[in-house]
Amino acid sequence: MINNHKFVISLNAFLVLIILAVNAHSQAVNPLESDPRAARLGGSIFRAQCATCHGADAKGISTLDAPDLTMSWVERQLSEEEVFQTIREGIPGSIMPPHTFNDTEVWMLVSFLKSVAEVGTTNQIAGNSDRGARLFSSNCSRCHRVDGKGGSLGPELSNITGRRSQDALVRSIRNPSANITRLYKPISFITVGNESVQGTIKSEDAFSIQLMDSNQVLRGFSKLDLRELRREEQSLMPSFTESSLSDSDVNDLLSYLQSSRSP
Amino acid sequence: MFTNKFIKLLCISFTILPFGQSIAQDNDGPSFEDLLNGFNDPTRWLTYSGDYSGRRHSPLTQITLNNVDQLRPVWTFQTGTTTRGRGFETTPLLDNGVLYVTGSNNYAWALDARTGRAFWRYRRNLPDDLTYGASAPVNRGFGMLGNQLFMVTLDAHLMSFDRRTGDVLWERELADYRIGYAATLAPLVLDNKVIVGISGGEYQTRGFIDAFDPISGERIWRFNTVPGPGEPGSETWPDDPAVLATGGGGTWMNGSYDSDLNLIYWGVGNPNPDYYDENRPGDNLYTDSIVALDANTGELRWHYQFTPHDVNDWDSNHMPVLANIDWEGESRRVVMVGNRNGFFYVLDRVTGEFLLGEPFTATTWAREIGSDGRPIILNDGSQGCLPDPWGSTNFYPPSFYPGLDLFILTARETCATYVPEEPANIQGQSNFGGTVFIDAEKGYGALRALDVHTGELEWEFTYPSPTFGGVMTTASGLAFAGDHEGNFMAFNAETGENLWHYQTGSRIWGAAAITYMLDGRQYVLIPSGTTLQAFAL
Repeated sequence: MINNHKFVISLNAFLVLIILAVNAHSQAVNPLESDPRAARLGGSIFRAQCATCHGADAKGISTLDAPDLTMSWVERQLSEEEVFQTIREGIPGSIMPPHTFNDTEVWMLVSFLKSVAEVGTTNQIAGNSDRGARLFSSNCSRCHRVDGKGGSLGPELSNITGRRSQDALVRSIRNPSANITRLYKPISFITVGNESVQGTIKSEDAFSIQLMDSNQVLRGFSKLDLRELRREEQSLMPSFTESSLSDSDVNDLLSYLQSSRSP
Repeated sequence: MFTNKFIKLLCISFTILPFGQSIAQDNDGPSFEDLLNGFNDPTRWLTYSGDYSGRRHSPLTQITLNNVDQLRPVWTFQTGTTTRGRGFETTPLLDNGVLYVTGSNNYAWALDARTGRAFWRYRRNLPDDLTYGASAPVNRGFGMLGNQLFMVTLDAHLMSFDRRTGDVLWERELADYRIGYAATLAPLVLDNKVIVGISGGEYQTRGFIDAFDPISGERIWRFNTVPGPGEPGSETWPDDPAVLATGGGGTWMNGSYDSDLNLIYWGVGNPNPDYYDENRPGDNLYTDSIVALDANTGELRWHYQFTPHDVNDWDSNHMPVLANIDWEGESRRVVMVGNRNGFFYVLDRVTGEFLLGEPFTATTWAREIGSDGRPIILNDGSQGCLPDPWGSTNFYPPSFYPGLDLFILTARETCATYVPEEPANIQGQSNFGGTVFIDAEKGYGALRALDVHTGELEWEFTYPSPTFGGVMTTASGLAFAGDHEGNFMAFNAETGENLWHYQTGSRIWGAAAITYMLDGRQYVLIPSGTTLQAFAL
């Protein structure tokens, strides 16, 4: 208990100091931006107050419809002020409630969320974007959409470089099975009519499954009608090794994606 | 009284009530004798579990193994209120063709049980600075006695309503919600007592069970779930009044009642802080325990602690299920609990003697429960996965099927890693004391039937994700259950074969079905998302 008292005292002292730094309500710029302690304390608040829905790692819990907050910054192009307001006001009509944290606490949360945010590619990728466009057309566009053209079996990639780092994108191209996101998990089975089906799972319950098949058609099935149902560990996307796409090819490809417009 | 009832019964017997003519059979409402009568009158559902035993096993047999596949939706009631991050957890009560239903955010309604149309609606004006009540704005149902309804609130009050109008008769504060208290359970109503518990074990709170006079609203007794300095059980805590005063031990799920023994059985929640234990060495009684209390005085008769010195938020707020079963050649009065820690327990409910404790999930924290009733720890967390803080099961009701002697419950298989962290201990703020990392890829749910004599798994039906739906059984051999994907389902209770399902459109979370006869037709009701849905053949 003595330790707890000390912690409360030190936290309170720190809050006093930090409140002095926060001299206006709802400022557009995080007044704690340069203070590394803010993210740490924001993390404590987050784990106590937010993790039930958003997960301790802030990556969201899909069954609660709680989004991955590490992606919110780049996917929704949010400013710090907008994140501040979202925490303070909640999202009307959703399960995200308003909160009564004081300004300092909200800015601490903003600092924490900023510290765990996925960042996009900030540098200009050195590559030939025209050549990248041709590579994309021949290797990727059947399944991925850019600037309104292409397929839908895989994620939309317009301006994906604004939402993912260059390293992360290279890893996804070289080894797409290492981390398959939720709506693109592969599955295969044989139907009662002897049709062999492959696709990506969009939804599932104890009795049915909803997927996009490899022909990019949305289909629903009763599980009673299926056999040899397999949840594949290999992504439907092939691994592009250096023999199929050199490092230079990949740079060209990413340069093209960087030149594309936001979806 | 006998004469009056006899005349009323005669009148009912010779009167044919046309549809919609809801003539009151008994304007005085249910008496304590009616509540004790439980399922003997299947045209009513008067308590949370249908009777005091907590078995949620109805004698109705119109819906059978052979015709359940013809079950169809009859009506849907839209509550118009959402539940942030949780579910529509209520159990409606039914009397004389009227359903009395509580909702999230302290909404409440009286509904026509034939159509789902509302007679009256109630919504409490809640303060803006709710604490625990803001994070779990749920309610699990009314209690009823005579023409009075009883409901607890997110700002930690107990209210009484006139069931005919929805008018508030009285309200009493249970505790200061600003500290972290809230109330969400369905009150347990006995003879001249309304018994309630409290939520907020993650805050700077001290749990209790209260009994109130239903007429005056005055408190009759209080049992504190964390002892005061020098009281029995305080030796399981550090010698620090401040720790005892904020030791947690919520009592947020109602209990069961044995009228012969005049004992109530009630589960107690986690110690505070949840994961960080440096400041609370010892077993931390009576957290994570079941307590048997004298209904007249609130005096503790016995207790059994499922998870001594809990560091995983494994509240023991479960419906204690009472039954008389053959046990090694003799009839025993037992209480059964499927616990959040992953073990199924059978205790003697007269003495609290430990009879059985067996795991019902693959991921457990104890190798076994020793003959002394204490767990022999297998994995304190250093060996990898533990059940997550939502537990291997939770408060949603299980069902006991007599004759088959099966305890049917919804199990959650999860994989969690706990990282304790010293909390700030600030009044009004939750105080988990650490972080939990859950591997969502490894999670799934299952409806499981356990042999109550051995704890062995008799059958299971798996769900894609960890599930929070409760169970009800009927004497026609059926088990009804709901899952996280929104299916409301019927199973053969003996074999586990799925016989029927209906996609309700939202997860079934924290609720279990009820069933009753009305106009010669058996209804089955389930809350789901923002709706209450009724089914019949």
